[in-house]
Amino acid sequence: MSEDGLPKGVVTRTELAVLASLFDRFEFAFDPPSISAKEAESEFDNYVRKLFDERVIPVHPRLSFPLFRCKIKSACRAFLRKNPPS
Amino acid sequence: MKPCLNFGDVVEVGRPRLEEMERVGNMYPNGDSVEACVAFTRQVGLVEGTVVQTYGIAAASTRKAEELSDVAEVWRATSQFCQSALEVLSKLKDKYPFCGTPQLYDVVLDYKLAADKRYRGAMEEAECQKMDFPKGLLPELS
Repeated sequence: MSEDGLPKGVVTRTELAVLASLFDRFEFAFDPPSISAKEAESEFDNYVRKLFDERVIPVHPRLSFPLFRCKIKSACRAFLRKNPPS
Repeated sequence: MKPCLNFGDVVEVGRPRLEEMERVGNMYPNGDSVEACVAFTRQVGLVEGTVVQTYGIAAASTRKAEELSDVAEVWRATSQFCQSALEVLSKLKDKYPFCGTPQLYDVVLDYKLAADKRYRGAMEEAECQKMDFPKGLLPELS
């Protein structure tokens, strides 16, 4: 359990916050061809892949990466709705 | 007064700008004269501003959207708007090659591809919602 009493998950709330921040920088970029947006997307992809390889595969070897990445994106959307960037 | 514009209205506000660019582009026999190029360059700047602004409103509205179907619809409409701009520009970029037209074509194409990518992403996410996913992988948010 986390300090707020919610289940932590294999991916932690802190990690999801970092991913959501990166997701925000490319998915909702006003200038999508910008270097900043492209770098954020690349960093997001690398982070998701690292979490998948190091944490998810050992406990869920049959789970596909595309589905995991897809669910992470949806979780980022939900996180940003609840915690809008200032 | 309550705001009463939806995203479809935003796109419709931009359409006359494309029509005006086409009208001005067709006013002159070619883009060789200073007068023609000055007039068309002004339209290029206005259309670029409209495309960038429309895309920005799309990004801001999808950040707040709760339903993926709404997200997909906004990006679909944005892509269609960009496509309309590209169709006008493709007819005029050879006529006005030195008035910023090819550059604007490339910019609009970049924004269209970005909108397409986000549309496909939203559709994929909607499909993922229907698939089984192990509990406990992601933190609960509330």
